[in-house]
Amino acid sequence: MPAPGRKLLPWLFPVFLLAAAVWALSIGTLPPADLTFCNATEVKSIDPHRINGQPEGRIVGALFEGLLQRHPETLKPIPGVAERWEISTDHKTYTFHLRSNALWSDGTPITAEDFHYSFRRFLLPATGGEYSTLFFVVKNSEKYTKRILAVGDPVEVELRKPADALDSIRGELLLGKLLKIEGEAPQEEEGATSDDQRVFVVEIDGKQRRFTSSKNVGGAELCETVLLDFREVGVKVVGPRAIQITLTNPTPYFLDIISYYPLAPVQRACVEKYGYPNWTKPENIVSNGAYRLQFRHIRDRIRLVKSDTYWNRDVVKLNTVDALAAENLTTMLNLYLTGKADWITDVPPGAKGELRKTRPNEYDPQPQQSIYFYRVNVTRKPLNDVRVRRALSMALDRREIVEAGPRAGEVPALSVVPPGIAGYETGLASPENVAEAQSLLAEAGYPGGRGFPTIEILYNTHEMHRSIAELIQSQWKKRLGINVGLSNQEWGVFNSSTRKLEYDISRTGWIGDYPDPNTFLDLFVSTNENNQTGFSDPKYDAMMEASGREIDPAKRLKLLHDAEAYLMQQLPIIPMFYYVSKDMVRPYVHGIYQNVRDEHPLWAMSIDQEEKARFFKAEGLK
Amino acid sequence: MIGFLVNRLLWTAATMWVVFTITFFLMRSVPGGPFDGERKLDPEIKRNIETRYGTNDPLPVQYFRELGKVCRGDLGPSYKLADYTVNEIIAQGFPVSASLGTLALCFAIGLGLPVGILAATRRGKLPDYGSMTIATIGMALPEFFVAPLAIILFVFVWPLFPAAGWGSWQQLILPSVCLGLPYAAYIARLTRTGMLDVLSQDYIRTAHAKGLAPRDVVLRHALKGAMLPVVSFLGPATAGILTGSLIEEAIFAIPGLGIHFVQSAQQRDYTLAMGLVLLYFLLLSLMNLVVDVLYKLLDPRVKLDS
Amino acid sequence: MSTAAPPTADAARLEQLWKESRQVHGVSLGQDAWRRLKRDRASFAALLFLALLGLLALLTPFLPLQAPRTVDTERKFLRPQLSPLFTATAPWVDDQGAIVEAKLEEGFGTPNPLNRLLMRARATCFGRWETTHWLGTDDLGRDQLARLFWGARVSLLVGLVAGLVSLVIGVSYGATSGYVGGWVDAAMMRVIDVLYSVPFIFIVIFLITVLSEASIKKWLLEYGIDRIVIFYVVVGAIYWLTMARVVRGQVLSLKQQQFIEAARTIGCGRARIIFQHLVPNLLSVIIVYLTLTIPRVMLFEAFLSFLGLGVEPPDVSWGLLANEGAKHITPISIVWWLIVGPGLALGSTCIALNRLGDGLRDALDPRLKHR
Repeated sequence: MPAPGRKLLPWLFPVFLLAAAVWALSIGTLPPADLTFCNATEVKSIDPHRINGQPEGRIVGALFEGLLQRHPETLKPIPGVAERWEISTDHKTYTFHLRSNALWSDGTPITAEDFHYSFRRFLLPATGGEYSTLFFVVKNSEKYTKRILAVGDPVEVELRKPADALDSIRGELLLGKLLKIEGEAPQEEEGATSDDQRVFVVEIDGKQRRFTSSKNVGGAELCETVLLDFREVGVKVVGPRAIQITLTNPTPYFLDIISYYPLAPVQRACVEKYGYPNWTKPENIVSNGAYRLQFRHIRDRIRLVKSDTYWNRDVVKLNTVDALAAENLTTMLNLYLTGKADWITDVPPGAKGELRKTRPNEYDPQPQQSIYFYRVNVTRKPLNDVRVRRALSMALDRREIVEAGPRAGEVPALSVVPPGIAGYETGLASPENVAEAQSLLAEAGYPGGRGFPTIEILYNTHEMHRSIAELIQSQWKKRLGINVGLSNQEWGVFNSSTRKLEYDISRTGWIGDYPDPNTFLDLFVSTNENNQTGFSDPKYDAMMEASGREIDPAKRLKLLHDAEAYLMQQLPIIPMFYYVSKDMVRPYVHGIYQNVRDEHPLWAMSIDQEEKARFFKAEGLK
Repeated sequence: MIGFLVNRLLWTAATMWVVFTITFFLMRSVPGGPFDGERKLDPEIKRNIETRYGTNDPLPVQYFRELGKVCRGDLGPSYKLADYTVNEIIAQGFPVSASLGTLALCFAIGLGLPVGILAATRRGKLPDYGSMTIATIGMALPEFFVAPLAIILFVFVWPLFPAAGWGSWQQLILPSVCLGLPYAAYIARLTRTGMLDVLSQDYIRTAHAKGLAPRDVVLRHALKGAMLPVVSFLGPATAGILTGSLIEEAIFAIPGLGIHFVQSAQQRDYTLAMGLVLLYFLLLSLMNLVVDVLYKLLDPRVKLDS
Repeated sequence: MSTAAPPTADAARLEQLWKESRQVHGVSLGQDAWRRLKRDRASFAALLFLALLGLLALLTPFLPLQAPRTVDTERKFLRPQLSPLFTATAPWVDDQGAIVEAKLEEGFGTPNPLNRLLMRARATCFGRWETTHWLGTDDLGRDQLARLFWGARVSLLVGLVAGLVSLVIGVSYGATSGYVGGWVDAAMMRVIDVLYSVPFIFIVIFLITVLSEASIKKWLLEYGIDRIVIFYVVVGAIYWLTMARVVRGQVLSLKQQQFIEAARTIGCGRARIIFQHLVPNLLSVIIVYLTLTIPRVMLFEAFLSFLGLGVEPPDVSWGLLANEGAKHITPISIVWWLIVGPGLALGSTCIALNRLGDGLRDALDPRLKHR
C-alpha cells in the first residue's frame, strides 16, 4: 500500500522554501536610522553599574547621564544632571547641586536620593560592579565593597530575604556595632570560591546577636551579608537636590571620575520593580540620558531614539541612532563603503595604509591616551633579573614594530604614561641600543643568548597581536640570540592565565580611565589587582603613596614623574607603542571630534542631510 | 506507527539526559571559571556573581538543580550576555538561523539534485567530470575564503546585493548561496553515486525494456531510490545548518546562533552552551525522525521498527 | 584413467577446455582495481599529483626554498617575481656550503634530525642558491612559496594522522560491534548515537580552548603534546563515528559468508577472525573513506585557524595561510598573491583526494566492472 504522503513529497520543497522566505522577511525591514554606527560587538549589558567596556560605554553614555558629563572635544567635565558644584578648601569634599529640570524618562524628577541609591548600588558587593574600584577614592567605599570590617565598626546587617524575592530588593537592614568576628575569611581559590563561614557578633539595640551568611554554620542567625554601615561612606544627601561626596585624599581627577559612565544614576523604582536583568528590557527601562532604548536585537543592533524628557533635548540633533553589533572588521568596512554605516569604530589592519592615503578626511588616526605594552612576569627566571628585562627592551626596534604591526601611525613608546597630559613630563626607559642590550644580557650570564631558556610571549587571539609578537620574536632572536615561543589564547582564558602569572611575557593594552598619570602608574603598585606582573617594590609603592597625599598639583606631578622614571628603570613591563584612534567617519557626520580617549557622545552629533545626499551621489551610493 | 513514535520519544529523552550529563561534567571538569574578566574581580564581588549563577555550590547540587531547570524548559541566564536568558537568546537567534538555513538547504537541493542526476546519466562524459570537479571545488575551499570573494564580486564589482545585515530579501541571497554551496556540492555527489547504484539494478532494466523514455525512467523510477543516501545525509546536515554557520554569520553580520555556538565554548558560557547543545540534539533527533519517515515514504520496503 | 585412453571427441573437447582455462588468469580484486584505476585517467592523475605532493612535502627541507620564518619588514608585500628565478643569497649557508647555526635557527627554528639531514644535503647540493619570491611575500616579508611548502607538511600530516586515528578507532570499533552482534552490538551502536548528537564543533573548540590554558599546556608539553597533537587526537576521535558505522554494516553482511564460517569451524578466535579475515575484506571501504576524511580534516583545520585555534606561529599550515589571505580580501585592497597560493593548494589537494576516492570506489565496485 503506498503511503498517502508519497504524492505530496515533490511539493514539500517549494512549500518549505516559501515558508522560510516568509519567515525570514517577517522580521521586517526597519526604516533606516538617522545615524548608524558599528559598535564592534554585542554589548554585555546596559546596566551602567555592571559594565566596563568601551562598546558598552557608547550605549550607556547615550542612555544615562551622571552628575557631570564630558565635553565631546576636550573631555573636560561639564555640567550634567548637576548644574553646579562646590569643592571644599581641603579638596576632599564635593557638593553637587542638581538642576530642577532633570527628569527620568517616565517624567519624574531626578533627586539627590536617586544618586545616593545609585552610588550605593554601585558599591554594593551583590551588584558585582566590575568598575567599582574607580569609586574607591571616596571615603570608606573600599571598606564597604570589600567588606573590610574591624571590631568596633558600625555595621549594617542584611537579613535573609524570601527565596523568590527579586535580586534588586535588599533584605531588611539592621544597624549596629560589630563586637567580634569569629573564624577566618575564606581564601580565594581558583574556580569556585569557598564558603564564608565567619560569624559576626553585632550589638543591635543593646542586644548581642550572632550572624553568618553561611548555611553550614550553626548557632548563628542566617543573614544575607554584614557590611560596613553605609552612613560611614562619604556619600551624603544634603538637600532634596544636593549631594555631598567626601574623599579619602585630595584627588585632582575626581571630577573626571564622576563624569564617567559607570557613575550614572539608575531609577530605584524601576530597578526594584523588575529586578535585574528585566529592568534593562526596552519596555521596562527608565533612563535619564539624551536617548531612550527603543529595542535590542541580539547580535544585530540596538536602536536609540531621542528622549523627549532630557533636560538639554534642544541640542540633540539625531532622532534615531542604530548601533550595529557586527564584529568582523572587513564586514564593518563593507557596511561603511556601501553607505549602510556612517561611522565604524575600527578598520581591518590590511586596509589601514591604503585608507590613510586615499581617505584622509574620513580615516585620520590620532594619538590616544592608551598604551600597548608587554607585561613581564618578574617572578620567573631569568626575567626576574632587571638586566635581562632591560636587555629585552633595548633590543627592540619599536619603529619597525609600529610600521609592520598596527600600521596606523602609532607612536613608539618608551614610557607607560602616554604623552599629552597637561603639566606632566613622562619618565622614559632607555632607548634602543643593541650593543648595550647584548652586553647587559652577557652580564646577566647569557652571552650571545647562550644558556637562555626559551621564553614564551602570550597574547589573546588577534591578527595584529600575532604579527607584532612574530616580529618581536624575530627581533630578539636576531639581536640577542634568544629563543622565543608564541602562544595565543581566547580572551577569557588569556586573562585568567595573565592573572595567575602563568606566563613569561604577556601582551596588554591599557586605556586611561581619566586624564591623569595615576590611571597608568597606579597599576604597578604591589596591591593593585591589575598589576599582574608579580612586581612588588616597596620603593615604588612609597613613591606612589607620597604622590597620593600631595595637594600641590605641580609637586604631585613631579612625584609621579619620578615614580614613572623609576618604574622604567625596573621595567616590569616593556612599553611598545601608544595607540591611535581607530574611527572612520563619513564627512557629513558633524560633532564627532578627535579626542584622546576615543569617546564620542551621541548627543553632540548631527548629520548634514544635503551634504550626505551630495556625498552619496558622488560615491554612487543609494 | 504510534508504538514507533512512543519508543522513539522515550529513547530521545534518555539520550538527552546522557547528552546533558556529558556536557555538564565536561564543562565543569576543567579548571578556570567563566568569570575571568579583564579587570580582576574583588573576591567579594566574585562571590556574589557566583552566588547569582549558583556556581559555588557543590557539583552534585548544581547538577540536579540545572537538570530540574532544563526539564522545566528554563535554561537560565546567560553568563556572558548578562541581560538575557538563554531562552531569549535562542528565541531571537534561532528563527534567523533557521530561515537562513532553510533557504540555503533549498538552494543546495535545487542545485545539487539536478547536477547529480545529470552527472550520473552522462557518466564518464564531460558533464560528469565538469560538474563533479566544480562540486569538489565547492567543497574544497574554506567558507571564509569564498564568502569575502563573493562579496567583492557581487557587492562591489557588480553591485547586486547589500554587503551585510539581515531583514530584506536582497540580504538573504548571498549568504544563503554561500552557505548552501558546499552542501549543494555534497548533494550532487551523493545523488550521482546513489543514481549510479540504482541505474544498475534490475527494475530499471525492466523499465527500459518496457520501452519507457529514458527521461521517465530516471525521474520516475530511479530518482526515488537514488534519493535515499541524500535523505540520510540531509538529516544531520539540516540540524547543523539550522543551528547556524559561524563564518557566514560573522562575515554577513547575521544575528543567528552560529556565533554563540563558538563563543559559548570559548568563553565558558556554561548555560548558553548547554542550551545550544540541547537545541542541536533536539533538532537532530527531530530530523532523524523525519528521515526515517521519509525513508518509509520513498521506499515501501522499509519498515518502521524501533 | 591410469591407462592411455583412445582419443575420443570428448577427450579432445576436454583438452580444448583445459587449454582455454589455462589462458584465463585469476585476477585478484587488488590487481583488477589497479588496472581499472589506471584506465580512469582523471583518478590516476589525481594519484600521481598526490604522490608528487607528498614527496615534495617530505623533501621540503631539501628544496632550494627561502627560510619560511625569516622576517624582514623591508620587503613586506612584495609582488611575485620570477626573474631571476634563483639567487645565491641563502644567509644560513656559508660560501663553503656549511651551515651557519644561528641563521639556520632564525629561519627554520630548531629542525628535527631528519630535517637537519635534508638541509645539510641541500646545503651541499645547492649551496647558497635559493628561489626568489615566486609567490611574493606576506605582511612581515616572509617568502610565501616557502611558507606554502612548509605549510603543506603540517596540513598533509594533520589530515593523514587524524584520518588514521579515526580509521584505527572506527575500524576496530565497527568490526567488533558488527561481528560480536547481539546486545553488545546494540549497546555499542547506542554509544555512537549519543556521541553523534553532541555537536562536535563545540566539543573541539571547547577542548582546544581548555587544553591551551597555560598550566595544562605546560603539563602536556612535558609529554611532547602540543596543539597540533591535540588536534589530531580530538578530530580523529570524532571522525571515527561514521567510519565505525560504515564498517559495522559491511561486517554484518560479510559475517554471513562462507569463508568466515570456514574460519570459525577450524577454530579461529574472535579477534583473529575480525582482524585477519574481516578487516582485509573491508580495505576498499576503508581506503575510500580515508581519501574522503583527509580533505574534511584539512578544511576543519582551516576553520580552526579562522577562529585562531589552528597551528601556532611560527609554524604554518595551509589553513593559517588561507586565513591570512582571506584577511587581505577587502574592497580597499586585495593582496592576490596571498590568496591564490593557499587557495590553489587546498583546492587542488581536496579535489585530487576526492577524485581518487571516487575512482577507487568505482574501481573496487565489482558491479561496475564491465560498464
